[in-house]
Amino acid sequence: MREAAEALLRATLDYAPSLVFAAVGAALTERGGVFNIGLEGMMRAGAFAAAVTALATGSPYLGLLGGVAAGTLLSVLHGWLCIRWRSDQVVVGIAINLMMLAGITVAVESLYGQGNTPSAHALPRLHLPGLAHVPVLSALSGHPITTYLALAIPVLAHLALSRTRWGLRLRAVGEKPSAVAALGLSVSRLRYQGVLLSGALSGLGGATLSLAVLDSFNDLMPYGQGFIALAAMIFGKWTPLGAAGAAAFFAFADALRIGAGAAGLHLPRGLMLALPYLVSLAMLAGFVGRATPPAADGVPFDPEAR
Amino acid sequence: MTRALRPGLAVAAVALAVLIAFAALPLFGKSPLDAAVALVQGGLGGPQALGESAVKAAILLLAALAVALPFCAGLFNIGGQGQLLAGAITAAFLGHALRLPGALAIPACLLGAAAAGGAWGYLAGWLKTARGVHEVISTILLNWVALHLIENGLVVGPLAAHSSDASISLPGTAVISPAATLPVLWPGTRLHAGVPLALGVALVLAWVMARTVWGFELRAVGASAEASRSAGIPAAARMRQSMAVGAACAGLAGALLVLGNLGRYPPHIASPYGFDGIAVAFIGGNTPLGAAAAAAFFGVIRAGGTRLQLLGVHRDFPEVIQGLALLMVAGRAILGWAWAKLRPSRLEADHA
Repeated sequence: MREAAEALLRATLDYAPSLVFAAVGAALTERGGVFNIGLEGMMRAGAFAAAVTALATGSPYLGLLGGVAAGTLLSVLHGWLCIRWRSDQVVVGIAINLMMLAGITVAVESLYGQGNTPSAHALPRLHLPGLAHVPVLSALSGHPITTYLALAIPVLAHLALSRTRWGLRLRAVGEKPSAVAALGLSVSRLRYQGVLLSGALSGLGGATLSLAVLDSFNDLMPYGQGFIALAAMIFGKWTPLGAAGAAAFFAFADALRIGAGAAGLHLPRGLMLALPYLVSLAMLAGFVGRATPPAADGVPFDPEAR
Repeated sequence: MTRALRPGLAVAAVALAVLIAFAALPLFGKSPLDAAVALVQGGLGGPQALGESAVKAAILLLAALAVALPFCAGLFNIGGQGQLLAGAITAAFLGHALRLPGALAIPACLLGAAAAGGAWGYLAGWLKTARGVHEVISTILLNWVALHLIENGLVVGPLAAHSSDASISLPGTAVISPAATLPVLWPGTRLHAGVPLALGVALVLAWVMARTVWGFELRAVGASAEASRSAGIPAAARMRQSMAVGAACAGLAGALLVLGNLGRYPPHIASPYGFDGIAVAFIGGNTPLGAAAAAAFFGVIRAGGTRLQLLGVHRDFPEVIQGLALLMVAGRAILGWAWAKLRPSRLEADHA
């Protein structure tokens, strides 16, 4: 029993981080009032850039930064089109997804002649001193840095959003941007910050897939996690801690399903996989709890409109 | 935000996307000229190429109608992929299970697929009008529900092909009966009856939108749900109906894929035609005929994509152009702005 619990915890801590990063990023951008359904494309770019950077430099940590840079770069494009030019946020997000889906497939095949990159050095596993022989908690030790970042970042995002002046302002541009503009603050700048954070975090999430979960990029990445992150964000009611908790829960449910399968217990796979989305839908529809998006989520800010 | 897309701007957006995509090829050591020749040959050179292009265009067109019709009523259906899969699995099931002659089997499969896709879309419409769930979010979620229930549930469970020999497991569903296979209309090619069907659906919808009361009401709801409600139009019902009819087109696209190309539901339908439909619809200005024009173009270059393999360029290259073109259309305010900078006199003449 103890071993099973440890194995489950260990698997969750390994598989949750990519989803946690993207879900927290989604919460930050949407609280600022900008939809980002390009998360999937940004994660894919992050995963690819991270593997390429790690291969080129030999350092998985630089690879991680490469992934963050790629995600951020795409979010600059997203922000520029959505904020500066008030383009349709959903269409821009889909365009980013489509471009990255096909573009990276073309790039990988052209550069490596196959659907995946060669193996790079994966992120080393860090062993926390003193935990090796503590029951259950020992599962906390021996993960790559991304796991520890995934434990810290949601808390930091929560504190920033709910305890700082910046956080109050970001939430305000997501609810009523005209009020923020009336205070003489820049709606655009705040929204850019939210969008860029979501890009950086989804890039980090992608890098986690190619450097922590595996040690190379493959053409199936990020396996729809950009969309699962959106479901996690809804499930977590648009809060960083809620989104991260939901992401961790999804990863746990997945680990449980795989573990149960390995133990010979066969749960209906399709239904289990569909469950997170079904529960999110039920929450949105008000059948289970209630999830309400920010009032100005997805609405471009036009200073001249009333 | 919902300014109409002028055809000229759409062409400019696509042209710019083509230029950018080809300009990137030398980065990977590939010749843009060779790639362009291969693309045109693969899409237009000879009957076989034309047949492939037409089949791809038909599926893209139906997937695009799934977006364009709800868009007229002010809804953004990004659930085309899920609706397509619902149609595809229904067509695969009926195509195998029904023992009917061809004259009945094909219509039955098509109607079943349209109904399944339509129901999946109607659900999103209902969630919007009755429960206030934004259709963008609900359709994203419903895409994944459909994917998992179908590909990790039905296709590997109740509908998995039964193999007489246990050692050979046929992946996917059972092969459809010959009577349910869409007949090839142009011998020597793969051009099947789905092509005129898709075109016919687009023409009928163009007529419905422009010439019927229902179409007018749909557009009125899209222009302003509140105003149309006060004018006595049942706005909520029209929204749900636009989703159902649009999604039925996506269901038909799934049926074309199964009855015309694949012959069964494979373990995994990899092509994201439902998402491609979004690009085609927006590039076509979200009108049925505009979507048909855009679908024809992308059908040709995507069929040409297979020829690119010979040059060592992945066949998904045309999809990069498609994504870029969608980005250009989304950011068309920039194109308009640049155009105004370049041609100030022309703009003033327009305003006069």
